[in-house]
Amino acid sequence: MSVIPLQVKSVDPILSVRDLKMHFPVKEGIFMRTGRFNKAVDGVNFDIMPGETLGLVGESGCGKSTLGRCISRLYQPTAGEIRFEGRDIATLKRKELMPFRRDIQMIFQDPMESLNARHTVGQILEEPFQIHRIGDRAYRQQRVKELLDVVGLPARSVTRYPFEFSGGQRQRIGIARAIALNPKLIICDEPVSALDVSIQSQILNLLIDLQTEYKLSYLFIAHDLAVVKHISDRIAIMYLGRIVETGAGESIYRTARHPYTQSLISAIPVPDPHHHSHRQILVGDVPSPINPPSGCSFHTRCPKVMEVCRQTSPVLSQDQQPVACHLYE
Amino acid sequence: MSLIKLNPQTAKKLRRFREIKRGYYSFLILVGFLLLSLMGEMLINNRALIVSYEGDLYFPTYSAFHPGTDFGLDYPYETNYRDLQRHFEETGSDNWVLMPLIPYSPFENDASSGIFRPEAPNAERQHYLGTDTTSRDILARLFYGTRIALIFSIGFMAAVYLIGVAVGCAMGYLGGMFDILSQRLIEIWSNIPFLYMVIIVFSVIPDGFTIFARILILLSVMVLFSWTSMTYYMRTETYKEKSRDYVAAARVLGASNTRIVFRHILPNVLSTLVTFMPFTIVSAISAITALDFLGFGLPPPTPSLGELLKQGTQTLRTAPWIVMSAFGTLVVLLTLVTFVGEAIRESFDPKKFTLYK
Repeated sequence: MSVIPLQVKSVDPILSVRDLKMHFPVKEGIFMRTGRFNKAVDGVNFDIMPGETLGLVGESGCGKSTLGRCISRLYQPTAGEIRFEGRDIATLKRKELMPFRRDIQMIFQDPMESLNARHTVGQILEEPFQIHRIGDRAYRQQRVKELLDVVGLPARSVTRYPFEFSGGQRQRIGIARAIALNPKLIICDEPVSALDVSIQSQILNLLIDLQTEYKLSYLFIAHDLAVVKHISDRIAIMYLGRIVETGAGESIYRTARHPYTQSLISAIPVPDPHHHSHRQILVGDVPSPINPPSGCSFHTRCPKVMEVCRQTSPVLSQDQQPVACHLYE
Repeated sequence: MSLIKLNPQTAKKLRRFREIKRGYYSFLILVGFLLLSLMGEMLINNRALIVSYEGDLYFPTYSAFHPGTDFGLDYPYETNYRDLQRHFEETGSDNWVLMPLIPYSPFENDASSGIFRPEAPNAERQHYLGTDTTSRDILARLFYGTRIALIFSIGFMAAVYLIGVAVGCAMGYLGGMFDILSQRLIEIWSNIPFLYMVIIVFSVIPDGFTIFARILILLSVMVLFSWTSMTYYMRTETYKEKSRDYVAAARVLGASNTRIVFRHILPNVLSTLVTFMPFTIVSAISAITALDFLGFGLPPPTPSLGELLKQGTQTLRTAPWIVMSAFGTLVVLLTLVTFVGEAIRESFDPKKFTLYK
């Protein structure tokens, strides 16, 4: 895995997200009037380079899955741009999206949920080709066999049903479906958090192998920093709908700048009984994205909170390891 | 690959259904009765199965009508085959008549004494359950009444499911304003009193309508006021399935709405709806019987259980066999269908052991 730094200008990013917002209307009262909005994603900027893995980390409810679903256009974002290979896909209609559907695919958290229990593995893997009208029946069945081989499942799985497989095997089926159309970008929405720890590394290694073989880019969403560190070139930390810090995987670990990142890093368990870490334990819960705090949205839980944090919202700095925090201004 | 390859989960449900003997045998009995009743004219009818006359064979059951003169009788109206049989036997000729098991039609008044009155069961005259107040054979009327009730209920169920599933699925899938408006409309619609509507509709139907048309109108009115309850299940189930990740996965692949509804959502939803089917049939049979009992149901002289029950309650003292046989048939019929329903529900239950085992 090569780390491709942000600064390289010769390569254009495969995906660049600019000021993306996803505000869900909150329907209230008997007339279901829209009074307030759930600002699940509230102004997010990032780039993904070809062949790169961007890890997206945050607590549950911080909007990372919503962000993923905006990019795969399961949601229609409220505002902002999603540029895929230079073309903005944020406002495209279903039919206009079809060519991009082949390039942007998604792997879901729980394969039991994301595979239709009434379809055989063969039917599940054939569906991408049917939808995009690729090849005849014989070709499709041939491709299904190849896909099963690529993800390490026996060819006889074709006639089996998802419930006949173990969790890890099911996720392999989900991965096979995602790579069926030779996509360029795959959004992995916590693809291993529903799996046993022993299976997690197998799936992660499969994803890494596929990346080198097919030159894939990943947006890897997770809440587990250890998992993200294993697979990501760069990491973005998300808090309450915004990215608070980004940087190369290693440097985030060594020199976490944002107090939130620091507390996350300190929470990673170290497999050494003599290791005594200073754990920064955060108090309180994530504030509601319907009523975000004023100023920096982290100020209610920040151990280094200053007066300015309550007033103004910090912007992401423009240096090597961008961070959105008043401490570094 | 075989023509129909069952999903192993469906196969498992079928296997469990077969294991529940009570429901499985009830199902076999009902299906057997239904198939038998489709050729009921060969079992219970006043037209002969075979007439051999002067070396020629006649099959009057499903053929055009034969006037008495065809068989050397002296009347030009339809042959009375029971009399013909007696006539051939008395004259000792080579001609013969093979009558069905019960040689009476449900519409035929067989007044032995010339007066229309209920007659007690009489094996010799082959009125095994007696006759009703207008001297019609009760067994024949029960048989055809049950057949009509069953076919009517199956048609009712099919129509209710078709409308209910379509509307409910659309509500759940489209959601939003369409869902809210449809819900309110359905609430208003389902508050229209059904019985009054039946009375009103039948009071404005012109006399010229055939019995078949009247039955169809009754069916439509019943369906029109019953499909709403189906939408509640469909709507919530569709909402539930729609938000699951396999639908999201299909959408990320670019699947169209039609594809998502017909290939993904419906197959997952319908399996739960199957469990309601027998109970829909039970309620339809009860409803049609109740309407017949009140006199607003199937138009006379259509044989029906409710009509027999009504006669039976009026002649409870003088002819108890009427109410007994009608009541007995109704109880057996509803119990069988309920057993099937219980067994289906049980075999679809993800928890294997429940009280019904």
